[in-house]
Amino acid sequence: MNYDVKDLMVPISEYATVSIGTTLFEAVLALEEAQLNFDRSKYHHRAILVMDENNQVVGKLSQLNVLQALGGETDSQQVDKVSRLGDFGFSPQFVSSMEARQRFAGRSFKDICAAPANLKVENFMKATSAGEYVDENTPLETVIPQFISGHHLSLLVTRKDGEIIGILRLSDVFAAVFHMMEEGQKNQ
Amino acid sequence: MQELEKLLDRIIQRANINLREIPYDATPVIKGLVPLSKMEKFYAFYGISNYHPLDLQFRHSNLAGSYFLGKCRVSNSILYKSDIRGDELKKKGDVFKFQNFEIPMTRDEGFDIEDSFLIKTLVHNFSHDPETLERFFIKDTLSTHYANIHGAPSDGCFLGPFATVDLTTMRDCIIGAFSYVQAGEIGHMNIQPGTVWVRSPGVFNFLYRYDLDRLGDYITFEPGSIPKGVFMEVAEACKEDFQGIYDRVHLEHPISVPDSTSVDRYAVIKPKTHIDENVLVAQRAFVQNSWLGKGANAQENCYIINSRLTGNNVTAHGAKILDAELGQQVFVGFNSFVNGRPETKLQIGEKSIIMPHTIIDSPEPLIIPPGHLVWGLITKPADILTNSIALSELAAVKDKLTIGDMFFEGSGAAFVEAFEHRIDHILEANGAFFDGTRNRGHAQFNQNISFNTLQPYSEGELKGLYPTIMIKP
Repeated sequence: MNYDVKDLMVPISEYATVSIGTTLFEAVLALEEAQLNFDRSKYHHRAILVMDENNQVVGKLSQLNVLQALGGETDSQQVDKVSRLGDFGFSPQFVSSMEARQRFAGRSFKDICAAPANLKVENFMKATSAGEYVDENTPLETVIPQFISGHHLSLLVTRKDGEIIGILRLSDVFAAVFHMMEEGQKNQ
Repeated sequence: MQELEKLLDRIIQRANINLREIPYDATPVIKGLVPLSKMEKFYAFYGISNYHPLDLQFRHSNLAGSYFLGKCRVSNSILYKSDIRGDELKKKGDVFKFQNFEIPMTRDEGFDIEDSFLIKTLVHNFSHDPETLERFFIKDTLSTHYANIHGAPSDGCFLGPFATVDLTTMRDCIIGAFSYVQAGEIGHMNIQPGTVWVRSPGVFNFLYRYDLDRLGDYITFEPGSIPKGVFMEVAEACKEDFQGIYDRVHLEHPISVPDSTSVDRYAVIKPKTHIDENVLVAQRAFVQNSWLGKGANAQENCYIINSRLTGNNVTAHGAKILDAELGQQVFVGFNSFVNGRPETKLQIGEKSIIMPHTIIDSPEPLIIPPGHLVWGLITKPADILTNSIALSELAAVKDKLTIGDMFFEGSGAAFVEAFEHRIDHILEANGAFFDGTRNRGHAQFNQNISFNTLQPYSEGELKGLYPTIMIKP
């Protein structure tokens, strides 16, 4: 069996979306709600699409983006200074411990998590880029290198006219690949 | 356009090509930094000694005010008031140890300077790159006032004023003003001004970065202007004294020195100075109203004024010690600025290590305890807490340490041992341990160097360029 992108995509109506100006907490609530209404896959949504006033997708807020917001109120120049220690050959563990100290020093985990709840999504979302779009009729195997090279967790699926109609999630692509692998083993 | 100007344009272009990916355009920074008229003005000179090879080749270059010792080839380059000091280059038959390799030298090592513009730069030591042990190359490189290229082959790099690259091969890098890098090998890096970085991969890593606003008082470098700040002011204040020693053919220093000591003919020694046995005072060093105890040294571009160095003190290239009293075997690293006050001398306890590119400048009385490592910017006694550590305490660090703006990862013991070993080696190389027969070093070998001068074309298309010259024994 062959798959096209549209066979595996989640329609945009079933995905979590929020508008620019939404707070991080409201965005996370929207993600939970979308998950409750989504029952066709056991894999959870891992991002929230951010829409502009014309209902066009302008960015994605991933779980990592939300984590990046933690401690986001600290001096970004200082955090940046520490996070660049890796350029000088310091180990990832050292850099992480230094950055954590810079971001969270002396605060409880509860305080750290509560602090960014009212910050706006546009400050932390990742703006969409050219490498994140894929046409709905693209064969699945064609899109796999796009996931790998761009380290994407999802791609935005478009129609011929460019309108975004859905999301192709890495988890669904992986499930399809695994399913085919299983079929192949059974037929040997 | 005169040939000299074409040469300068060509050198800048070649550096820019190497730095295009960073990206960096050196043109507005370098053009006009040294007027062409000055490049045409000064003679070059070279040393002749029985202890160092004499093997010099100059082609299509300007060498204004520069000094050469040892084996050196210069082509398509401009060397302005720079010191190319080849008394530590490896010699044929030496064995270089690198990891598990023991690599024999099949010929004398030489500097190979090509398509480069060095301004008041010191080039010294030897190539530590196992891939190019007999050729210490400096290629497509721009280096500005009082930079140090010390055991650091360079290809396609820009060094800001008072920058030092030490024991590191660098390719396509920018080393910002007053940055010190000792990292083995680096490529395509843009090191911000005021970065002090000492790394031995897999063993230790030390990093300190100056607050640029505070560093600005000491050194500022902007396109279209020569470097400014306290460091330049110190050098400028002593400029006239140096002029005197270049203008005269025969020069007697105002003090007598022991037989085991070397005071370079191109150093400035002012009255009320005491110089003990086994002392090395290199060319372009300035000593005034100071005591240099047995085995102390003052390297190129050092300023030691109103100070006492008890003995076996290393004053590395470009270091400035003003109104200070240093205990036995205190090390003051490259380009450090150690500034006390006439009424309250800065005191540094014995065997303390002032890291390269450290600034100690306190209007209040300040004492650095013995056996401490000191780094960064200290302008008041309280800063000692965030900018120093006892060497014994550092040696106990097993994995990581942060104090103030300093980051350290790795073995503190290995870091301390590496520094102490190097200081010992420097003292040995400089002849501090000479006992009358054994342990000769620079202080003894460099005593009887003769100097010859070289002049450029004084008019015409080639004005400022030196003719092709080959000098051999």
